[in-house]
Amino acid sequence: MNPHELEQLLLLEQSGELTAQQRRALDAALAASPEARRFRDQLRALAGAVPEPAGPAPDAAARIAARLRHKPKPVFVFQPAWKPALAVAAALALFVGVRSFRPVPAAAPAAETAAVAAAADDEWTDPLDADFTELESLLAAMTADASFEITEL
Amino acid sequence: MGTEDAQLLAAYRRGDSEALGRLVEKYKRPLFAFLSRFAANPGEADEWFQETWVRAIEHMNMFRQKNLLGWLFRIAHNLAVDAARRKKPDCSLDAPLPESGAPLADLIPAAALSPADEAAGRDLGRHIAAAAARLPVEQREVFWLRMDAGLPFKEIARIQRCSINTALGRMQYALARLRAELAPAYRELQESQP
Repeated sequence: MNPHELEQLLLLEQSGELTAQQRRALDAALAASPEARRFRDQLRALAGAVPEPAGPAPDAAARIAARLRHKPKPVFVFQPAWKPALAVAAALALFVGVRSFRPVPAAAPAAETAAVAAAADDEWTDPLDADFTELESLLAAMTADASFEITEL
Repeated sequence: MGTEDAQLLAAYRRGDSEALGRLVEKYKRPLFAFLSRFAANPGEADEWFQETWVRAIEHMNMFRQKNLLGWLFRIAHNLAVDAARRKKPDCSLDAPLPESGAPLADLIPAAALSPADEAAGRDLGRHIAAAAARLPVEQREVFWLRMDAGLPFKEIARIQRCSINTALGRMQYALARLRAELAPAYRELQESQP
């Protein structure tokens, strides 16, 4: 294990975020190397040496409450977790519905019809499918990424 | 969100202003400490502290995280880090001076050190704070979110909207720079270890 990796594991140990595998690797490194143990002690001492700033003004809470009194009362709507999922499902259903309602093309020359049929057989060439895949990816990313829940203020 | 926090917020909604006071008290230490690291003076930190709470309460309907402290830090991040970026100097402190080639930062006394502190040179904590104040803003933020607030890297990554590896990397860069800047103090720190 190089010093960079060792430092990463020590930082994750300090923050309580080591996986079991990382824990084993770190324990092995610490057992094998006095230098690694010294490095860990140094990191701990650094954290302990940082001075704590003074707290806010004693009347901070009262001043916050006073500022809030002059604003409209907030509406706390703690949305249940299923609501965004329901919205996503509704959007998907709508999209699929619109997609399936395709106008039947009017009479077309035989060669052109054959080309369209061939293209329709090959789903990878269907632009609607490409759009659909893109929308699915976007929705999956939105669902997976918790930061979408945070509104920029 | 923790049950206690949700109950306190609900109580505040019903008109119990003491409930807000209890929430402010509960999170004041890590939140104010973080804001202090970016504010120009305690008055500005105090102003940002109040503003963070006002925005948090005002926009509580948009809040769907489990962690109220994380939400508060996200707002504090927007306030403090944006202000730090606005205050960014026109020239880099790391840029070498034409005459000597030494970085400009070497000529500027550390902001948090009094002459007595400088002379004594032993106040490690103040040295760390002063050196950290010269870190790039993203690194400084990770450093203080870990050191002051004790947030895990996962939470820091959410606040900074980056990956955990990026947050970890920023911390490592911060530590490397502090080690370089505080070499004598670091030696002192090592020697003080049993």
